[in-house]
Amino acid sequence: MIFREVEDRDLVLQARTGDVEAYNRLVSRWEKRVYNYLLKLVADPDDALDLSQDVFLKAYQSLRRLEDPARFSAWLFRIAHNEAYSLLRRKKPETEVEDSPPPARPASDMLPVETSIAVASALRRLSPDQREAVVLKIYHGFKFDEIAEILDCPASTVKSRVYTALDALKQTLAPIQRTGGTARKNLH
Amino acid sequence: MSCSNIDLKGYFLAEIPPAERRAVERHLAACEACRQELERLELTRTALLSVREEPVPQRIAFVSDKVLEPSWWQRFWQSAPRLGFASAAMLSVAILVHAFTRPAPVPPPALDRAEIRQVVDQQVAARLDAAVSQALAAAEQRHREETARLLAAAEQRFELQRRADMVTIQENFEYLLKRVNVLQVASVYREGEP
Repeated sequence: MIFREVEDRDLVLQARTGDVEAYNRLVSRWEKRVYNYLLKLVADPDDALDLSQDVFLKAYQSLRRLEDPARFSAWLFRIAHNEAYSLLRRKKPETEVEDSPPPARPASDMLPVETSIAVASALRRLSPDQREAVVLKIYHGFKFDEIAEILDCPASTVKSRVYTALDALKQTLAPIQRTGGTARKNLH
Repeated sequence: MSCSNIDLKGYFLAEIPPAERRAVERHLAACEACRQELERLELTRTALLSVREEPVPQRIAFVSDKVLEPSWWQRFWQSAPRLGFASAAMLSVAILVHAFTRPAPVPPPALDRAEIRQVVDQQVAARLDAAVSQALAAAEQRHREETARLLAAAEQRFELQRRADMVTIQENFEYLLKRVNVLQVASVYREGEP
């Protein structure tokens, strides 16, 4: 990682003393991951961008209330989670319409773009709780206890959601990845 | 240990302690079914991670940006002239306090009073000049330091942004290269079909 010469904790401590540049570095470091997390939750690039901006502003305003600066990332994602669900609650009638996913394609030799579509479709089939738990675990690498902090629920609940989601995703994605990989090997 | 007693997903997600990991590894060495299940989990993760992260369409505004500037009084309080202002205010207060709290003077002869006033005026003027010069020097010094700090910070930010851009460009290039390779191979493969 090229931006790890200074730890988040140090930047948070500097930002708390009024060092705005330290906070700007935190923004640069986390904006892409926060944006992508929000994008997977709200599924709208404009909303995800607006929410990202709000998240970083709120985090700055309440930076002094962060008890453990070393847990900045989990705390930041907690704010992002709250912001996203606040928006989803306001837009509930619209989002409910999107809950019927398209039918799954049969496993076949897929190009990367098609795999992306298959992944997006498989993720949409999960419940929102399972999807968010998988996103935080697989894409962002948080531990169960950190995800529990972000989602404000017991770690055992997080574990259950991730395990159930993995079982569902495995049914759709493992055959695709296997046949795709085999077909690609045959091509070479 | 039987298959139902091992936490294969916990092992796969690195969420179990080292001792339990070793037990799972021993079980995997002897159990073909669990090895296949682990392979399916790995394939699932590979598929999930093959989806590229989207770039942020627009830079997230920094807290130092214009739209997030502090209010005018915050800016004034954080600005260089505040030292000069504070020094002048303190001097004025000191003069006023001294004027109201000094003991009532014995009326001197008329000639002495004029001389004393002249001396006092000279001393007050000299002290004011010194205080103002000192405040100005401090303000200029602070201004110079602030400018240097901002320049250094801007350079640092540009450098970070440049490095981030380079990483993105490299990722995009590698992705395009892979796409071209895949298309070329697919084209060759299809041409070879009967």
